Amino acid sequence: MMSFQNDLQSLVLCLAQALLLLLLAPMITGIVKKVKALLQNRIGSSIFQEYYDIKKWWGKPTMVTPYTSALFKMAPCVYFVTTLVAACMLPNFFGGRADFGDVFVFVYIMALGRFFMAVSSMDAATAFGGMGGSREVYIAAFVEPVIMLAVLSNVLHTGSTSLSGMALRFDTVNLTVAGVLTCIAFFLAMLAENSRIPVDNPDTHLELTMIHECMTLEYSGRLLALIHWASQLKLLMFLLLFSMLYLPLNLPVVLKVLLSAVAVGVVETLNNKMRLFKVRVYLAAAGLMLLLAVVAQ
Amino acid sequence: MLVKPENLRGAANICSDGGRRPLAAMFGADETQRGGGLAIYCLFYNAQKRDLDVLKADYPSARPRNYPSLTPLLPAAAWYERELHDMFGFIPEGHPDLRPLVLHESFPEGFHPLRKEVAVDCQCHGHREYEMMTSSGEGLFEVPVGPIHAGIIEPGHFRFSQAGEAMLQLDAKLFFTHRGLEKALEGKTPLEAMTIIERICGACSVANTLSFCQAVEKLSEAKVPYRAWLIRTLALEMERLYNHVGDTGNICAGVGFSPVISMGARMKEYLQQLNELIAGNRFLRGLIIPGGVTMDVEEKQLEEILNVLKEVEGVYADMVHIMWEQANFVNRIRTTGIVRESTAFDLAMVGVGARASGMARDSRKDMGFGIYDEFDFDVVTETTGDVEARIKVRVGEVRESLKIVRQVISKLRRNAEVELAVDLGQLRTLEGSWGISESPRGDNIHWLMLDAEGRIDRSFIRSASYPNWPALTVAVQGDIIPDFPLINKSFELCYACIDR
Repeated sequence: MMSFQNDLQSLVLCLAQALLLLLLAPMITGIVKKVKALLQNRIGSSIFQEYYDIKKWWGKPTMVTPYTSALFKMAPCVYFVTTLVAACMLPNFFGGRADFGDVFVFVYIMALGRFFMAVSSMDAATAFGGMGGSREVYIAAFVEPVIMLAVLSNVLHTGSTSLSGMALRFDTVNLTVAGVLTCIAFFLAMLAENSRIPVDNPDTHLELTMIHECMTLEYSGRLLALIHWASQLKLLMFLLLFSMLYLPLNLPVVLKVLLSAVAVGVVETLNNKMRLFKVRVYLAAAGLMLLLAVVAQ
Repeated sequence: MLVKPENLRGAANICSDGGRRPLAAMFGADETQRGGGLAIYCLFYNAQKRDLDVLKADYPSARPRNYPSLTPLLPAAAWYERELHDMFGFIPEGHPDLRPLVLHESFPEGFHPLRKEVAVDCQCHGHREYEMMTSSGEGLFEVPVGPIHAGIIEPGHFRFSQAGEAMLQLDAKLFFTHRGLEKALEGKTPLEAMTIIERICGACSVANTLSFCQAVEKLSEAKVPYRAWLIRTLALEMERLYNHVGDTGNICAGVGFSPVISMGARMKEYLQQLNELIAGNRFLRGLIIPGGVTMDVEEKQLEEILNVLKEVEGVYADMVHIMWEQANFVNRIRTTGIVRESTAFDLAMVGVGARASGMARDSRKDMGFGIYDEFDFDVVTETTGDVEARIKVRVGEVRESLKIVRQVISKLRRNAEVELAVDLGQLRTLEGSWGISESPRGDNIHWLMLDAEGRIDRSFIRSASYPNWPALTVAVQGDIIPDFPLINKSFELCYACIDR
């Protein structure tokens, strides 16, 4: 009975945490955008603009072309729910059990969401959707091993495969060679995973170069709002993971997340988008760093 | 030179002299109202004589209207002949691709708007086929883009034939917003025409106006005052500066390189505000008129121009430095979108596109219009013909333009003339005349013929984008489709210039 109550309590705490992250996510994306705008000599939109956008899309009619299957409507929901479930599995800052949230489950629940998005991008049979889907999967194929290696490096370091366990045992100033290399590599993979420059450009209107945005071209209204919201949540989750498990600084997590959000904005401004086929070299570099980190342990 | 239509190809072969005198333009004219028939004009650059050679084929009666196509001999004629086919109903025999160019699906067959019997305000509806170039085979697919684009740009439909990410072939369907300006100009006096001429294109308003004014001035004995030419040169170079500076930044938008985009936009704004100071508007309109200029540039303005240019020069140098320091950026632009010199030669490309492919063609030197011979400047060329070369040519031309502007200003300070425009008097009628000037994208050529009452009988406008558009479809072959926006921006071709 005790254990059931404990489980229930943990579950409620996890859900509360996921919902809190969901509420905060648009603001973090807003902050990244604001940083970029300021660095480009622009005033930029308010950091709350993403909330207004979601509200706007939510109030708009959702157009679905008659040439699509049920999958088209399903995919954004699956993407949203899988991301939310993944958010439940993050190390719980309300406290809770350390054996919850296995890292392998975490990575592949996110992959499930991406799979559905990639498949649905081809559903409407537009040229852009197919291009976006194929590029997303091409990049995912390289990002996934890198993320897994980063996780492995952490597993070796902390001796736990649960995210909470890792976070509990992570000594905040891990300034070993392995720690620093893992930190850099995870940051690179995070940019790729979240469709940021230099891999993808979240702000572009150029259909031909887009990756993630290409897949969303056919979506409108609430479905579009779900996709954007989930993507924003995903960015926040990666920033959290980066702050809690990789960033070797002795600061409160909230500060570390804000700091890494600013870092994403700065890196995006300093760089330009690379050639599509160079992305694998970029990710191979991240992978190599991680291999070195694993060996160094 | 006047020839019979059946001899046009032979005559064009002689005129082009193995390509040493490239085809500059080709257009038709309906001269039936003044006792003639239909005519085809071909213009060739003659850099030796610093002149355009005019070749005319005359049809005494309205039919038949066929002639041997020049395209197999001069690939540069391909678009001109398609336009002749649309606008006048000429039939170039042996043309490899006689699809409509200007008149899309919604125009009826047999409708040739530039013929005199068609009224300027006529309404027409029709339906005909317009087939895009496609390809088929295992694993090949097509990507249609436009005519409505995600950005705020003009309409154009692009059809890519793809093998994965690689572009096999690109077909561009343009002319969606053709305005019929050449038709609208007919019956107007040269002065009345100025409002339209200045608004053909925003980016090369000065160049179009200057070409047209020169065509008008050739029909008069009067000589344009020297000070007017100084101010005209100043305006033309200011136009080049604001375009090149803005375009350099804009090319970087193709790769999402934001600091450079912002710097380019900021400097373009400074320069356009300077334009406003000179002419009262940001596009330097209303300044140049047939016979001279309307406004003087005073010492206070000259001082301000020099100050702003000095600042812009510094920021531009920083911006170029940032670009070349960024290895990731250089990696994107090098070997991307190559136009070989032979291609540029065949298509008779002009402007930045031609100079980036190793052709030292610049009408400021070749044609020596106005007073350009007095100034010390170089024609900037590159040989690689890729995006990097086109950026480098622009960077070099900004430097040369600044040089010219400073020379113009020192001459303006020493020049005490008060007369800014001359009365052109009675213009010679029924005589073909042309004007040329170097816009930021290459030379703009205007052809003008006045009828017996001194009103425009035929005005032909060939902006620099016209010969360069077909080169874009060649440049992209073999590159990957995500690089298309970058390649496209490096040419910075104008839709309005061809939708005239």
